[in-house]
Formats: sequence, structure tokens, C-alpha cells
Amino acid sequence: MDLVLQLLFTGIGIGAVYALVALGFVLIFRATNVVNFAQGEFSMVAAFIMVVFAVDLGWPYWLSFIVSLGGMALLGALFNLGVYYPLRNRSFLPVIIATIGASIFLANSVLALYGPQPQVLQGWFDTPGIQLGPVYLDSQYLLIIAVTIVLVAFQYWFFEHTLLGKKLQATSQDKEMASLIGIPVSAMIMLTFVYSALLGGIAGILVAPVLFVSIQMGATIALKAFAATIIGGFGDVAGAIIGGLALGVIETFGAAYISVPYKDGFAFLVLVAFLIFRPQGLFGERVAEKA
Amino acid sequence: MKLTRRGFSGALAASIAAPALIGRAGAQGATLKIGMCAPVTGPAAEQGRYAQTGAKIALDAVNKAGGVLGKQVELIIEDDQTTNPGIVLAFSKLAAQDDIVAFLGSIRSTQVHAMAPDVLKLGKPVMIGGTDPALTHMGNQWLFRFRPNDSYSGRVLADYGVNTLGKKKWAIVHSTDAFGTAGGKALTEALGKIGATVALDQGYANQSQDFTPVVLAVKQSGADILGSYFTFENDLGIFARQLRQLGVNIPYVGSPSIVNVSALKLAGPALYGTFGVADYAEDSSEASKAYGKLYREAAKVAPDNQSAWTYDAITILCASINKAGKTDPKAIREAILATKNFAGAEGTYNFDANGDGLHGYNIVKNDKGNIVFDKHIDFND
Repeated sequence: MDLVLQLLFTGIGIGAVYALVALGFVLIFRATNVVNFAQGEFSMVAAFIMVVFAVDLGWPYWLSFIVSLGGMALLGALFNLGVYYPLRNRSFLPVIIATIGASIFLANSVLALYGPQPQVLQGWFDTPGIQLGPVYLDSQYLLIIAVTIVLVAFQYWFFEHTLLGKKLQATSQDKEMASLIGIPVSAMIMLTFVYSALLGGIAGILVAPVLFVSIQMGATIALKAFAATIIGGFGDVAGAIIGGLALGVIETFGAAYISVPYKDGFAFLVLVAFLIFRPQGLFGERVAEKA
Repeated sequence: MKLTRRGFSGALAASIAAPALIGRAGAQGATLKIGMCAPVTGPAAEQGRYAQTGAKIALDAVNKAGGVLGKQVELIIEDDQTTNPGIVLAFSKLAAQDDIVAFLGSIRSTQVHAMAPDVLKLGKPVMIGGTDPALTHMGNQWLFRFRPNDSYSGRVLADYGVNTLGKKKWAIVHSTDAFGTAGGKALTEALGKIGATVALDQGYANQSQDFTPVVLAVKQSGADILGSYFTFENDLGIFARQLRQLGVNIPYVGSPSIVNVSALKLAGPALYGTFGVADYAEDSSEASKAYGKLYREAAKVAPDNQSAWTYDAITILCASINKAGKTDPKAIREAILATKNFAGAEGTYNFDANGDGLHGYNIVKNDKGNIVFDKHIDFND
């Protein structure tokens, strides 16, 4: 039982990270109908900005965090202007390829600027964790779970109870209609990219003390987050969260009880099963082509 | 004198070719050339810089002492881009220069495997640092290794854990790539030969974000010592931290990555008190200390194996060419293989017929973040 509780806590902790990055995927998909494959690199860039300010320059943690989020907002805006906007009237394929290109560009830019060595970023708390009976709770994982809950609540309130949120929803549902009723569609999409970059950035900064800061960290998380998005149902916020958490728990238990080397395999086995038997995901609606 | 068309063409061709011919003849006469493939760009660019520095320190010493065969030695460096295609290209560029007498290859086994067929075709000596045992056991007589191969690391880990620390029930954690699998296997075999048992043999995939299941398996196995082969330092850092968090405090001996600078930085206190094998340990011998001093003066950073092996390679190669008295590849090969009891920075070189120069490792301890030399274990076979 102790073992199960320990695995469950770790699984939920790592799953919360996938969920945060998956949220970014979902938001951009809803607004633009394309998958942003550079979402993971947003996490990596934010973590490196934190290292530059909090570690190299010795700025206070909170100030570095704000600077890092500022940087991410800027990156999100530039990403929209440089990658999505010029291709917005093309089919989804050129946009997806452009996001893959941007992802490679971001990873290699950081490599050129900062070098290949992984870096250490301290967590928010001085205490590494607490022992609760037989289970050890890593303080950073506790923080990740807490932030995920807060962000999900915020997102629900923002999209369902604010005018701006509703405008964003309208944009994602039908751009032409939204435009006809006076919603500035380009600005809404810009806002979506900025918010997604912020979400990715927060995930990166939160996970950095656990996984360290490295060039590969973005790709590793994004791949799982992408799987989580498909399991949850592309385009569904609740689905992304449940998908992320489920993936974290499945791979942790699979590793413990079946095979450690095939840990990643379990995640993708579930993904393939969903693609075959329930391609719309847990919460997605079946989309039928009109004849 | 009447200038004919033929005469004019001949004069023009001669005037174009002359500088190149004269330059080439001059170059051939003036220096003796050694080619070096090193990562100038790519993920290992930093380590590539260390490797070049080590080689240049050795080269300066050789040239100050009068050079080789009465000539000054020149190092021609080509970028291997830290990739397999990169090193194949770099080596072919160097191999095309007839006046290069010998080469330095890579510290990465995979790159050495990539260039090995071309080395065999060319038939000139190439010094390497890759530790896959197969490299010197696949019928390529032109590869000479300046680091101990991985078959020794498993034996040294087993010997130290069982005979020095007195622990006989082992948990082995290793990556599932070629390096980790071979390392785990070598350690298991070595333990079997000296009567120790393996309670857990646990592989993991590289770039795992979480090691909780692995740590819990170690805990449940009841092992009294842990041995590991980690490929990437970030994996090792996460594992070591979770190991301590989940209360596993048995003695821990690991492959070289456990004592490298990145791992120490990432894992911090989680690796305090652990032991590791290291081919270069500054305090392991007088020669290692002397090299450490030279390197610190030149590079202003602590020395490690990335530069120590190239230092030894240039030193021994130049001495061997001098001993051979000519640049004939076969004569150089025989002179390198005849090198015995040579005190280098990495250890004492006794080349065997396969081209392996070193036959043991140093055991070092992580003493609150400082790497302290503990003992050297050598084998005669």
C-alpha cells in the first residue's frame, strides 16, 4: 500500500506537468486549428531565462520569475507574428511544419547561446519535501499540483465568466462569425499565443528543479503532453488535464509493476489504443465529414 | 625571343603551380604533421576544446625537446561536429593529406566505429579514446586506445565493492543503450566471478523524467550495495536525488559519469559519499599530478579525462615515431605496441597486442563534492 501511495503521488506530480503543457497545446489548437510543436520549447526557454537571471545574475527568485514570464509573453507574441501570422491563410500543414522548424530553431539558439551542459535551478522552497507517514512528498511536485489546480480554476473562470474569455472562445469556434460581430480575431489569436507561451513557461519553470534545465527538456515533456492531449480529446481543456494526469499515473505504475525500460511505451500504447478505438479522446466530440 | 603560344601556356602553368609546389615541398621539409578530429562544434564542443588543449600542451613539450625526427610537430585539426557523419568527413579530409603521418580520433566509441572502416583502408595509426572494448578487438590493427576499456570498469567496480567495501548483495541500475547494457553485463559477470550475488538488475530508458519505480525496486531488493552505469548526467542527478529522498542510503559505486563535473553539479549532496571509477584522477600518480599542474596553468580549469588522453596520445605517439626512426606506419605501430611502463597522465601504459594501453581504473570518492583519489586497481590481462 505504501508503494502504491508513493507511486500515485509521483504519477500525479509528473502528470500535472504534462497537463500544464497539454493545456497550451489545446488553447492554440482551439484558436487556430493547428498543433504547435514548439510548445515544449516554450518550457525550455522559460527555464533557461530563469537560470540566467536567478542563478547567473543572482536576481531574487520572484523577480526572475516575473522577468521570465515577461520574456515568454514576448516570445509568444513574436511566435504568433513570425510563425503563425504569415501562414494563417494557408492549410494547416505549412503552419505545423513552421512550428516544427521554430522548435528546432529555439532549441539550437539556446544551445548556441548557453551550451549543452544541463543546469540546476533551485526550487521555490528550501525544504526538499515532507515525509507523510510512509510516503515522501517532494515539495516541488506539491507546488506543481497546486499550481495546476489554480491554473485550471483560473482558466475555467476566465473562459466562462469574462467577456475577453468569451471573445476568445468565439474566435476559436468560428473566426469569420467572430469577425462579423466585431471581435478583433488577430488580436485574440495573438493573446492565445501569449497565454500558451506563459502556460508552457510556467510548466518549464516549475519542472526545472525536478528534471534540471536542459535543451532536451522541452521535447521530452511536449511529446508526453501531446499524447495527453490526444487521450483527453484534442481541443478540450478538461480532457488535457485528465489526459495528462492519467498518462503520468499509467506510466509510473506501468514502470513499477511491468517494466521500467518500457515506461515510455505504456504512455504510447495507451495513445495508440485511443487513436484506434476512441480517436476523439475522452472528452472530444466525434467530428463527421459532411457529404 | 619570340613568345610562342605553347611557351606562354607552359610558363603560365608553371607560374600557377610553382607556389603550391614550393610551399608543399617546404612544408614537407619543415614540420611533421599529425591530424586530429575533434568536436569544434556540436554538443561536445566544450569537451573538444579540452581535448585540443591537452594535445597542444603535449605538442609544446615535444617541440621544445627538439621535436620528432629532427622536425617540429604540427597539429592539423578538423571539426568532427560531434556526429558520426562529421567525423567521417573530417577524417577523409585529413586522410587526403599524404604528409600526415598519424591521427587522433574521438573519445566517443560510436564515432570511432563510424571512422574505423576508413582507418583500415588508409592504414595509418589512429589514437582513440572510445572505451567500447570491441574497438580494439575487431581486427583493425590501426586503432590504439589511450583510456581503459569498459571491460575493466565493471571488474574494478566489482573488486572494490566486494573486496574493499565488503558488500556482496548487489543492485545494478543501468541505461538500456549500448553503453549501459554492456556495462551492466560486465559488472554482473565480474561479480559472478568473485562470488557476489546480483539481487536486482534494473535497466532504464535514457531521459527518464522519474526514477521512483527504480528506486523502490532497489529498496525492495534488499541489496547492501548499489552499482550503476548512467549515460546521461541529468538522469543520474534525478535518480540520485530520488534515491536519497526515498531513504536508500546503501554504499554506491558508479561508472565514470558519477564523478564528472556535470553530475556533481546537478546531483549536489545526493552523491556525497559515493564512489566512482575514473580513468583520470589528479592525485593518482606523480605523472597525473604533473599533468594537472600544466593543464591548470594553460586552461585555468580543472583537468579531466577529455584532455588527459589526448595529452598522453601525442606524447606516446611522438616518442614512438622517434623510437621507430621513420614515419612508416608499420614501424610506428610496432613502436607504440612496444610501449611498456610509460607513466602517463591517465595511468601507466603497457600496450597489448590489441592496441589497449591501459588495463585498470582509479577509484575515487565524492567527499562532499570534492573528488578524492582512493586507490588504483590494475589487471594484468
